[in-house]
Amino acid sequence: MSLLRLALALVLSAPAPARPATPAVTRPPAAAAKTPARAGPVYLVGGELHVGDGAVIPDSVVAMDGGVFTVVGGADARGKLPTGAPVVDVRGRVLTPGLFGADTTLGLVEIDLEGSTRDDSRGGDPPIRAAYDAASAISADSSLLPVQVVEGVTSAAVTPTGGVVSGQVAVIDLVPGDHRGLVAAPRVAVAAHLGQAFGGSRAATLAKLREVLADARIYPARKAAVERAQSRPLAAHPLDLEALQPALKRQAVVTVSADRASDILAALDLAREFGLRIAVVGGAEAWKVADELARAKVPVVLQPTQNLPGSFDTMGARLDNAALLHQAGAEVVITILGDAHNLRNLRQEAGNAVAHGLPWAAALTAVTLGPARAYGVDRTHGSVAAGKVANLVVWSGDPLELASHAVTVYVRGVAAGTTTRQTLLRDRYRDLTPFQPRTSEKVVREGK
Amino acid sequence: VPAVITRRQVLLLLPLTAALACGKRGPAPPPQPPVATAPPPAAAPVEYEDPPGDPQRKLLLRGAVVMTAAGKIYERADLLVEGSKITAIGVDLPVPEGAAVVELAGKTLTPGIIDTHSHIGVYAAPGLTGHNDGNEAIAPNTAGVRSGDAYFPQDPQINHARAGGITTMQILPGSANLFGGRSVTVRTLPGARSLADARFPGAPEGLKMACGENPKRVYGQKSGPHTRMGNVAGYREGFQKAREYQRTWDKYQRDLGEWAAKKDQPPPKDGKQPDEPSPPARDQALETLAGVLRGEILVHNHCYRADEMSLMLELAATYGFKIRSFHHATEAYKIADRLAATETAASVWADWWGFKAEAFDGIRENAAMVHQAGARAIIHSDSPIGIQRLNQEAAKAMHAGRRVGITITDDDALKWITLHPAWALGIDKRTGSLEPGKLADLVVWSGDPFSVYAVAEQVYIAGELVYHRGKVEPRTDFDLGLHPEDLQRPAPAPVLRGAP
Repeated sequence: MSLLRLALALVLSAPAPARPATPAVTRPPAAAAKTPARAGPVYLVGGELHVGDGAVIPDSVVAMDGGVFTVVGGADARGKLPTGAPVVDVRGRVLTPGLFGADTTLGLVEIDLEGSTRDDSRGGDPPIRAAYDAASAISADSSLLPVQVVEGVTSAAVTPTGGVVSGQVAVIDLVPGDHRGLVAAPRVAVAAHLGQAFGGSRAATLAKLREVLADARIYPARKAAVERAQSRPLAAHPLDLEALQPALKRQAVVTVSADRASDILAALDLAREFGLRIAVVGGAEAWKVADELARAKVPVVLQPTQNLPGSFDTMGARLDNAALLHQAGAEVVITILGDAHNLRNLRQEAGNAVAHGLPWAAALTAVTLGPARAYGVDRTHGSVAAGKVANLVVWSGDPLELASHAVTVYVRGVAAGTTTRQTLLRDRYRDLTPFQPRTSEKVVREGK
Repeated sequence: VPAVITRRQVLLLLPLTAALACGKRGPAPPPQPPVATAPPPAAAPVEYEDPPGDPQRKLLLRGAVVMTAAGKIYERADLLVEGSKITAIGVDLPVPEGAAVVELAGKTLTPGIIDTHSHIGVYAAPGLTGHNDGNEAIAPNTAGVRSGDAYFPQDPQINHARAGGITTMQILPGSANLFGGRSVTVRTLPGARSLADARFPGAPEGLKMACGENPKRVYGQKSGPHTRMGNVAGYREGFQKAREYQRTWDKYQRDLGEWAAKKDQPPPKDGKQPDEPSPPARDQALETLAGVLRGEILVHNHCYRADEMSLMLELAATYGFKIRSFHHATEAYKIADRLAATETAASVWADWWGFKAEAFDGIRENAAMVHQAGARAIIHSDSPIGIQRLNQEAAKAMHAGRRVGITITDDDALKWITLHPAWALGIDKRTGSLEPGKLADLVVWSGDPFSVYAVAEQVYIAGELVYHRGKVEPRTDFDLGLHPEDLQRPAPAPVLRGAP
């Protein structure tokens, strides 16, 4: 995890350096806006804090500075704040970790149907694209980012799509405009797919994955031979085999998209065979094999409202999938699959899981600490604890309830802006008077 | 059709005759004498009268929060169902003799939820090639096709919609074509073996039209249209032809009337009776468009952008028809004043946006801003997932509006998924709100329907209990035997109907 730590250290130790005086050139104001605000200190006192791991602190103290939580505790922790600290009274508010969107193309896709705006997939290539790195393609200027932030989403596992192995997943914090700093942890996971992802058959897909993983396993010892062209052809390009090494060493997770119960079991077998640390994504029929998933400690990343038999692979889809998995002791992660534009509806999904039997605390964990654990970034993300990245939401009420809204969203200890492309459009059209036509031309009837 | 039919027969035949009538019925003729050879005259638009239902049925739903979608919310009230209809709403209603009492303390009662935009049954689940019946994507004008002809009443998605409180939904053809075809309004009744069993009797048909990217995308590399210019030219061409078609039929009706008036008079001097005029050819597509021009078929127009919706309103004005509702209308908020002025509803999502260029400007306050301008806002689904919780979608849209200071009562927001869609489908006199005299299309919610935690516990259609959570959960044929628990012994009885 050294890479991760390094990345994080860079991120966390990045209070804005005083900039040298800019030369006498008129700069667009946007350039100034991108200078990161100094992260803190912020002191929030009196809120009902849901830590993310199930713990609740009714009368809490949360301090953030330099992008991390510095103090987290109950009323007795007030003593740890500096005297005269400018505390913000958040009594009556609910505090949670920032929401964490798993398995999303956020930042990779601006408009789904416009190919020129999509960078989620290496197209027209072999099915193994392990070296395709989402971190290198994410746009910090994506209009989608602020739209999610204002509703409490602060982190996301940005995941490439397509093929059998799609590529490398990056965890980002949602700091719009911060091109250098957006990525919190690159290459935390490799995204793979079961089912009919290859060769028109799930068996072919599985065989392909085995072939690649087997070759990736022997690749380090054969590297020199491969370079000298003294090796049999391997199942993928050396860069792709290289990119699979962290997964083989359990330093990176393999996310496996699978819905049918048989595919999920195949994923578990594959994980055992190659010693992989996996997370199942989709998991429509995961409830059928919940006990095995729990025993293998494999989290399931699912969208609770996806209850339809959309294909013969999801015949067993049901609304209480999350509840049944949780009952069996498996880790549930809730996300929005395939719609990065509305990742903000994470909390509605969590609420629906509660309506169908998932305990409330488990539902909150499923959109905060759960995903952080699933992607192996829970040392830094997912809950409100001293030392972790200060991603926090102050809610007007129950965060899973439709009547509530995010009052203030802190990303890396800084209160996020409340303006989005959508609020600008809204405000432009709130009053239609300025849009009334200057001349009124009568509608001419078409000729008979 | 026999010469004398009873009212009951009319009711039984109606679903079928309604389906057939539009193909057979000519344009409205001038008054004429009864002539055996003339086409059946167009029935004067009469209000459909709902059948009374089971006369034995008397149900008192007691002690619920009653949200009427008619301007009033009772904190605690009773609702009486007799036969197919609501006959009373009030506080502490007396229990009529023989009435079954359903205690609903702590529950909330609303009208059945209505979706103006669904493809359930024409894009049935699972999404098999064999189930792909929603877009007759062979030509940009397929106004002659009818979604009802493809409606698969065994689609398991119907069960899920019902379990989400849906009692009525409009099944539309897809949006590949400029003129996609006629829509049909159905109920989520269990046990339907064909469209006739599911059809909402007496509901007018709709015409699906589509603006913007979809027709361009589907036909751009084929016959065209290739651009938005081509789209609009296609609408003009269609309506112009319909106008001319109507003219031919009007002339025929006039000629027929003149001929009929003269035929029993003494023969003219040359002794030759004029031949009976022969009717012009029927054209299925033009029948639909002429039906729109006559105001009999309601236009449902898939259209995202403000500029395009404005163009469509102008086009409709020039040809003298109304657009009943725009669908998707992600930019309705930009022209909310125009929607109000033309009495055009906007069927929108709470928050979908950005999946294509024309949906890039979607905002959460869309419905609220339409409402504020005095136009009819509707929350629709266009999704077999979304249709299962339109109550939540309405709640999101309502709260987004309230947060920016727009006044929206719970009753207003409830109308977005009940009375307003009923209006858009032309059935608001009969359903869509809780009022005596209306059909007993009802949902009992576990709590406030605008809460994320609320679920539909009971659903009634025309007084019949069609869903009772955990007790009566009807399933369609396709859903049977594909779940391991179905194959256990003894086999559970496949539930079909609700209350005995």
